[in-house]
Amino acid sequence: MSQKKEYPELPRKKLGPGWWLGNRHYTVYMVRELTSFFVAVFCILYIYQVVVLASAPGSYSQYLDLLRNPVMIGFSVVALGFTLFHAFTWFFLIGKVQPLKFWGWTSTPVQSLIINTVLLVAISLVIIDLFFMGR
Amino acid sequence: MSAAARLHALLWGVFSLGGFIAAFLLPVLIYVNNIAYPLGLWPVTSRDPTSLIVTDQIIGSLFVFVTVAGSLFHGVFRFTATLGELGLKDHVERIVSVGYAVIAVGILALLYYLLTLNPGFVNMVLHLLGPR
Repeated sequence: MSQKKEYPELPRKKLGPGWWLGNRHYTVYMVRELTSFFVAVFCILYIYQVVVLASAPGSYSQYLDLLRNPVMIGFSVVALGFTLFHAFTWFFLIGKVQPLKFWGWTSTPVQSLIINTVLLVAISLVIIDLFFMGR
Repeated sequence: MSAAARLHALLWGVFSLGGFIAAFLLPVLIYVNNIAYPLGLWPVTSRDPTSLIVTDQIIGSLFVFVTVAGSLFHGVFRFTATLGELGLKDHVERIVSVGYAVIAVGILALLYYLLTLNPGFVNMVLHLLGPR
């Protein structure tokens, strides 16, 4: 690692682990970043479910019993809440970073949030209709 | 642009795509599989949602793969970066390495077992990867 860094880091104040608790904007930012923990854990659990289904069908019913456990349902509700929080803040940020422009009209972050939320609901309904309704 | 910088840009691009996938596709999977099914809520299905979509329908396997692989990449990538901001900056390289290992193992395991469960999915992947 003797190679000189192309972009050397500027000296900056060392922040403690709780630096984000002193300001509401930083707290919202960090809560948003921490929603990724629930996204990651849900995905790992889901992959484990697919592995059990494929490799040990006999014990799959035990995994389904685990899904009915109140603790697991509680975790899932929290994971869904944080995933939706991530989605809504993502939609708002898209509107800030890349607003749409048509004939002199520029979209606002709130309009981006509304349009993308409607899209989220529509996509969810199409998936439910395609894969689950009447099956 | 150096190869490392190009790889860095590519990984951030995949991360961004994973963000869209996690925002638009993951909520419905969490709801149907982990909340509606165990509580018997709408839409009520005859079997559990996962075995329903990954064994009977090729497009269902594709949906599960895109949703879970994209969201896993996005979630782990962002979480490991966040740990650096929570006072673990000195260990961030090691944490990021573990994160990439989790992503790689998770995606490969998901792909392998989806292929095992749905042979039709194998044909579709081969068709997509095959010569034009």
